[in-house]
Amino acid sequence: MVRCNFPLMVYLSELIDVEVKDSTDSIIGTLSDIMIKPKANTYSPLKYLLVKKNKGKEKLVFVPYDYVEILSKGSIFLKKIFSKIPTENELNEEDYIGIRKDIWDQQIVDVEGVRVVRVNDIKIGMFEQKMCVLGIDISIKGILRRLGLEKLDVFDFFKVNLIDWRQAQPVKGFLKLDILSDSLDKLHPADLANIIEDLSLNNGSELVKSLDSKDAAKVLEEVDPHLQKIMVEYIGPEEASEILDEMSVDEITDLVKTLPKEKASLFLEQLKKGTARKVEKLIHYPDNTAGGLMNMELVTVKPEWTVHEAIEEIKKKSPSQRSILYVYVVDKDGTFYGTLSLRKLIISAPNTKVKNLIFNFQLSSTLKPEDEMKDIIALMTKYDLFTAAVLDNTDKLLGIVSIDDVMRHFAPDA
Amino acid sequence: MKERFQQIWIKILFFLTILGPGIISANADNDAGGITTYSIVGAHFGTKMLWILFLLTLSLAITQEMGVRIGLVTRQGLGGLIRENFGMKWTAFSMFVMLMANLGTITAEFAGIAASLEILNVTKFISIPIAALLIWFILYKGSFQTTQKIFLVFSLFYIVYIVNGFLVGPDFKEAFQATITPYIEYNTTFLITLIALIGTTITPWGQFFIQSYVVDKGIDLKHYQTSKLEVYIGALITNVVSFFIIISTAATLYKHGITITDAKDAAIALKPLAGELAQFLFAFGLFSASMLGAFILPTATAYALCEAFGWDSGFDIDLKRGKFFYSIILISIVIPALIVLIPKISLINIMILSQDLNGILLPVILIFVMNIINNKKIMGEYTNRLLANIVSWITISGLIIATLALVYYSFAEMILK
Repeated sequence: MVRCNFPLMVYLSELIDVEVKDSTDSIIGTLSDIMIKPKANTYSPLKYLLVKKNKGKEKLVFVPYDYVEILSKGSIFLKKIFSKIPTENELNEEDYIGIRKDIWDQQIVDVEGVRVVRVNDIKIGMFEQKMCVLGIDISIKGILRRLGLEKLDVFDFFKVNLIDWRQAQPVKGFLKLDILSDSLDKLHPADLANIIEDLSLNNGSELVKSLDSKDAAKVLEEVDPHLQKIMVEYIGPEEASEILDEMSVDEITDLVKTLPKEKASLFLEQLKKGTARKVEKLIHYPDNTAGGLMNMELVTVKPEWTVHEAIEEIKKKSPSQRSILYVYVVDKDGTFYGTLSLRKLIISAPNTKVKNLIFNFQLSSTLKPEDEMKDIIALMTKYDLFTAAVLDNTDKLLGIVSIDDVMRHFAPDA
Repeated sequence: MKERFQQIWIKILFFLTILGPGIISANADNDAGGITTYSIVGAHFGTKMLWILFLLTLSLAITQEMGVRIGLVTRQGLGGLIRENFGMKWTAFSMFVMLMANLGTITAEFAGIAASLEILNVTKFISIPIAALLIWFILYKGSFQTTQKIFLVFSLFYIVYIVNGFLVGPDFKEAFQATITPYIEYNTTFLITLIALIGTTITPWGQFFIQSYVVDKGIDLKHYQTSKLEVYIGALITNVVSFFIIISTAATLYKHGITITDAKDAAIALKPLAGELAQFLFAFGLFSASMLGAFILPTATAYALCEAFGWDSGFDIDLKRGKFFYSIILISIVIPALIVLIPKISLINIMILSQDLNGILLPVILIFVMNIINNKKIMGEYTNRLLANIVSWITISGLIIATLALVYYSFAEMILK
């Protein structure tokens, strides 16, 4: 019998449950799955067919792809008599994934289009003399093919929409193997955050975990706070701590604050000592005290700087700050010297030293973290302050309470 | 003492924050189809069907709880879960079933809008196009969340049925007797009303809705016990309201032999409370309940379909990217609106028959739910206990038997005529 080995393109839907015959034309069973050993940014060659046998004890058996003669729409033939083929009953789960089990019908990330899609079908074909997974069909046409209704589309109204396999980042199963598309790594954290928001929580968390912790931290900071909390809880303290360590202290504080008490301490235990100490300092203040209200959004300058240098610093920090009314003069140990208004800076000569502009600074015009609301209001009213510095008992600057923070406390929903 | 009080207060606050899925979903159950069906149950059969409502409370609590549990464990909506575990063909089938049931329910909501405004002498040819445009516009441009909240508050109107129920001075002894006395008639009218009663209380969309709600809210699995309690309370509240609608209409309409052919008739039940204002009060309640449903359902339908087929969804994306999402919403507003606009179509019939459609299709969705929730690979240690399985299968088989009986008796009655 002559069988021609024509170049093939075939969809997984045209292979699944198709009878598998050996070289004597006897039916071995039906195709259940195809195993691949994926690598980043390459078309993955087929490694094994998973065949569901119709006889015998071992119901499922892996047939090495080297023994496959023909794999085309509706027909699968092996090269030898089945008994001569070295089949396997088990594969190392960490090396292989089944494209039916782990990719078909699952969510994947279309890296080029920066979006999450669902796999309707999988395209298999020749690449460099090997049968490989080439692309992922996400089109209506793919849905019709799966339903056996392709003929309904008589006018060829729907077009096949393929995502190149190398531009696709499967999620389920795939990330356990730690295979990350290079181009995924190059996405902007905000884009990646959007993708994660679109994935299911399990898949999204897997994706975050598979990033290196610095990238993961950047991405997590961009994720919507509500999901951020859910995700961190889902990932759990131990694994999340590596990511959290790379985040900024007030981001961590905000996050930890939303967690229930017991859980919060579990997370803190896992953080680096220094970070944890900073966060702890911030979170243990009740919400209605200076420590709880204060924010760390501020520009600090050194006493020995000139006015010119201070203004340059404001320009540099400006993009990351909502508003700047004052700069805070702090020496290299963190000891607080006083505040300077923008007005003062603008009207002073550029080469004046900052420390020379501060006079009559009084420690009594600053807050302690444990000061309560009535103290804050009294102090800010007495000294006509827009912002008040919060110092610890060694006069180090912890943060500032602005009039906005006070207002927000009284009108939280406004 | 003060600290103790504070602790209790924190617990209550905590309960309120995760409050939501059960009570919202249950509340939305009393929509246009709901009010109409319960009114008809009471008006045409008195308290005779209360025993079914009693069983339904248990069944609703358990099916909703299963939705919550699946959501908590899988963190995924029902649409996506069916797709990932049953493949394309079953997905297409289940999504088609859901779409049909939901289109039926949305048609009922529009019929409710039309009927309520007809009480105020506004013809449906004016009210429906305006309502459809308004719904599309608010969904597309406005805030879904805020609108949903407004109508949710409006739908607290049901409390008037409870007050009314006491004012009617019904025979509570008889009513409670009826809740434990099974009663069945073998004819199409009874069976149609019976299936509608089940189909309006436990709905396919409710099953999808509660699961997505849990997933979106991100409730932690640790709070499962609290969520469970909340769902049970929700089921109880919604059926207490249904109970009072039924005894209100039973004590007014049924007693005087008035059948409901028009929403105006159903409004008579509120006379003991509101007197001459009963019509307005009923119109207001029916209108806000219908609007709430008309907002939630097209959106819920679109989210479920998009999740199953992997299309972009959400109101934060543009028309081009969200073409499937917006198209589904548009279609599920336009088709129901057009059906209601068919001249001389009976609005009451739309509202009740759509609930029958829900009831007939519900077993399909519940069987998927049962398959998922009893799958150890998906649910781990959170698979169903025996009681939940028994109650669910009784609900499913009860519905299938009632549907078969309905088919049988409709043919029988046709031939006998």
